[in-house]
Amino acid sequence: MKKGKHFYSHIIDTSSITLEIGNMKLSQEERVHLLSLTESNIHHAVLDAILSELSEDDKKKFMEHMHADNHDEIWKLLSSRINNVEERIKKAAEDLKKELSEDINKSK
Amino acid sequence: MPKTSNYTKLRDKWVTRHQDLSKKLWTKHKESLEWLKDHSKKFAVGSAATALLLASPVKQSLNLQQAGAFQTADQIGRETFLVSDLSKMVPSEVRELTPSEEENLANVLSRDFGIGVKAEIDEKRLNRTYGLIGQEQHLSRYPGDTMATHFDSQEEANLHAREGMAPGLGAWRYFANSQSEMTEEDKLRERYYIAVPTFLAKDFNLKFAEYRDFFKYRKMILVNPENGKAIIADIGDAGPAVWTGKHLGGSPEVMHYMERVDRTPVLYFFVDDKDNNVPLGPIKLVK
Repeated sequence: MKKGKHFYSHIIDTSSITLEIGNMKLSQEERVHLLSLTESNIHHAVLDAILSELSEDDKKKFMEHMHADNHDEIWKLLSSRINNVEERIKKAAEDLKKELSEDINKSK
Repeated sequence: MPKTSNYTKLRDKWVTRHQDLSKKLWTKHKESLEWLKDHSKKFAVGSAATALLLASPVKQSLNLQQAGAFQTADQIGRETFLVSDLSKMVPSEVRELTPSEEENLANVLSRDFGIGVKAEIDEKRLNRTYGLIGQEQHLSRYPGDTMATHFDSQEEANLHAREGMAPGLGAWRYFANSQSEMTEEDKLRERYYIAVPTFLAKDFNLKFAEYRDFFKYRKMILVNPENGKAIIADIGDAGPAVWTGKHLGGSPEVMHYMERVDRTPVLYFFVDDKDNNVPLGPIKLVK
């Protein structure tokens, strides 16, 4: 069952970042660009956290499921291979969100 | 388009950050990423996750068509960000939310609207917090209230008269004893009422009086997850029946503001407003 755009969308809350960007005086185009960079940065951080815990074979299985957008199979695989996988994903995202939030504050 | 300095600073920093993350990822997981790259070429369609992983960060601004999650937005206002956030938190199918989904949504709505939003108050809750809303009719506010007396202006009548008046009274009978006794609050309670199946709440039949008093004119926040529009409504009626396939009903004014039509999804949570400080009607995001 798909719960969102990415397989982890339902456990990661990015609204604090989007609201911070929303509060900045930016053009529509600029906001969209920063939001797309936020999404992409979080995506890379989450994938690194996951792939670092998988064997080469499992990495390929994971990539195959991800490419097919098969969220159920992704979670089946991750849950069977990585302890507390949801917590690890959340932590990777939270750490990055903290850095992005600091970047926003420094840019003001 | 001229770029603001805030934007340029953040853009450069985040593109660099992205390049570093990407480099780290490709260094550590080269074999599997190369495999994905080759694999993805064989198929015309791949997931957004793959596309995002294989794409290079761009330093120039994207246009809306390139912006994935936001490509349908006409205006990137703050409500759009709420919509974007909700799209990640609200399931694509209209179903009962899990306790953790409810908690996450209540937290986001509390923060974004600056009010206390809860799925449960005093251990009382409705049967669900996300469902299909149906179109209700106007309710008679006092004995003798008709479509001819119901609106304050012709403009209001033009907008909302076509739904007509319900043949019966609301769950709490009349909102006021007479036209002269009707207060502004009574008027707003009818204007922004919703009907929810109070009878499906757990223990409703066992503690009828307690639950009736709890639900009577209880304020709720309704959010259209597709446009971010939100309104503070009150429970003014019980329904709809389960067989209708609808989970709640909204007054013509509620439906109009939220831009909802019959059987479309909304989020509905209690507003924790012990001191009656939150006014009924449309609510905006906090600044």
